[in-house]
Amino acid sequence: MMELIGLSKSFDSKPAIVDLSLRVEDDEYLTLLGPSGSGKSTLLRVLAGLERPEAGRIMLGDQDITARPTHLRGLGIVQQNYALFPHMTVEENVGFGLAHRAQDPVTDTAEVARRVAQTLELVGLLGLERRMVGQISGGQKQRVSLARTLITEPKVCLLDEPLGALDANLRERMTVELRKIRKALGVTFFHVTGNESEAIAMGDRMIVLDEGRAIQIAEPDTVFDAPATVRVARFLNAYNLLRGSVQGGTFESGEVRMPVPSGAQSLSCAAVRYDAVRVLRSGAEAEAGAPALHATFVASEFMGSKVVYFFRMADGGMFEVERHLSSSDPETYGEGEHVTLSWRMQDVLFFDANGDLIELAQAKGAA
Amino acid sequence: MATNNDSVAMGAPVAAPQESFWARNRHYLLLAPGVVWMVLFLVVPLLMMVYVSFWTQTTFAISSDLTIKSWQTFFASETYFGALLRTLRIWLTVLFFTFLIGYPTALFIGQFVRNKTLQTVLLVACVIPFWTSFLIRVLAWRPMLGKEGAVNIVLQGLGIIDQPIEVLLFTELSVIIGMVQIYVVFMVGPIAFMLARIDHSLIEAARDLGASAWTIFRTIIFPLSLPGVVVGAIFVSVMVLGEFATASALSGRKVNLLGNIIVTQVGSLKWAFAAVVGVILTAVMAVVITALLRVVNLRKEL
Repeated sequence: MMELIGLSKSFDSKPAIVDLSLRVEDDEYLTLLGPSGSGKSTLLRVLAGLERPEAGRIMLGDQDITARPTHLRGLGIVQQNYALFPHMTVEENVGFGLAHRAQDPVTDTAEVARRVAQTLELVGLLGLERRMVGQISGGQKQRVSLARTLITEPKVCLLDEPLGALDANLRERMTVELRKIRKALGVTFFHVTGNESEAIAMGDRMIVLDEGRAIQIAEPDTVFDAPATVRVARFLNAYNLLRGSVQGGTFESGEVRMPVPSGAQSLSCAAVRYDAVRVLRSGAEAEAGAPALHATFVASEFMGSKVVYFFRMADGGMFEVERHLSSSDPETYGEGEHVTLSWRMQDVLFFDANGDLIELAQAKGAA
Repeated sequence: MATNNDSVAMGAPVAAPQESFWARNRHYLLLAPGVVWMVLFLVVPLLMMVYVSFWTQTTFAISSDLTIKSWQTFFASETYFGALLRTLRIWLTVLFFTFLIGYPTALFIGQFVRNKTLQTVLLVACVIPFWTSFLIRVLAWRPMLGKEGAVNIVLQGLGIIDQPIEVLLFTELSVIIGMVQIYVVFMVGPIAFMLARIDHSLIEAARDLGASAWTIFRTIIFPLSLPGVVVGAIFVSVMVLGEFATASALSGRKVNLLGNIIVTQVGSLKWAFAAVVGVILTAVMAVVITALLRVVNLRKEL
């Protein structure tokens, strides 16, 4: 188990990580979602010992490793650009940690070779031992980099945007593969990414990092269904955000009127998931009492299993609606067609003046 | 239009019109000036040198009757064959010291100076001695190393020595000191260039995998800088092997290198003998460069 306590780090007085506390459990897949510039790479570098934190402590088990040099930490980092040694073969790269580490290196070359073969088998690279790393593909490089770290049996394996440089096809395969490899070894993966679907799909738990702060730490489905703040909702790329305010007991955002949930003092924003919105052609009426707004059709995007429709609201903002083709057939709208967008009150999330989610008493139905 | 294009693309392959021989090969013309230049001023003189080395040399004249007498003289004479050995010895010593001084300097500039501008400034600083002429740089060592030179005065002033050190000037040592000072920068440049190209994330990865600083140097940094070392060594070797000026200026004509012999033989119009030494020098350089290139496959590494 690794614990980060009040970790802070800044560059030229520009804060990169602010008072971050976090527990990383044994044998879990933890993902960290953060937009670029949120401090996610800095956090990994601080954990690996490549940067010094200004405040806070890092505990590994019951040992304080905050000031321990990188090569004695027992953490492994898989860098975004793989950082393979260009003058070595695949085999030499993977065996590097075992043969050359300062603490209890494996001097028996046969033993190194055996474990290299074992690890290469795990990542599916048997047969490439003698290749130079310049002669293998991007996906294979990624696996070599992973194998090179895993062979040293790190207590926590830090992955810096491991799928970032792979093409879409390969990325999907590696998603499954990474989870499988992690399970087989029982090692903790701490996977940092800027891609929300990756963070949600892969993590047992996920952390949302924003401007150096962890703004939500929860299981992916919780994060997805109940984003803790407006900013989390925005990173998830699954919510339409309606900014507004309370006027005489009603939440008003443009033409939309919604009753203020009981117990809420002030509201700044409402969020409606892309797939919880009904599109009504002109003439059709929204259900009585259901919030509705008028918009014009802009474009649609066919994505295989779903279609995403883009509408422009009266105030110029965009509104997205998603239709899963397993539950309904795609609709076609003419460009500039006027429609009414409507949704059910139980699918709305409200955020208070600070941007924090207002937990409602009523149970949320699955949208 | 579109269908028209399609049908052309789908049709039977049309034989490309044969370009004329002239059109296909005219890019080789780009080589012409270089080839003409090299043939006239390198290949022909080289062959000429080999040819002349077999001419018959008498005290006052030279004739084109072929003989191996000049070659026999070279290998039989203590003076001349000794000069070959001395040249090799000084070359190896200078190479060793330029590496010993150059590598740490390059390591500092290439790996520990992270600012690219500062790196360039430091490398330019290494070349500052070249702003003065070669002769001045060499001769400046005389007032430094002489019996009443700066080094002796300072050491005596500090009370470290009683008598001036005489071995400093007009010896093999002064030649070596002079050459190392002049040529060390040719070692620093290429090595610093290679070191600066090493991706810092490789070093971080190695550290993360548990390697100590020395292990990282031994297994990552040094092997990756080896092409720079080889290029630097080639620069230094080519220049030192053909040297004569430093040796004659700083040794008081006591240390004769192959270069010095060529100068004196040409001076006394002994062309055949000078040609023998020239051929030997060229052969030595060829062997040295080939051997150095064997160390690293430069084509692959650069």
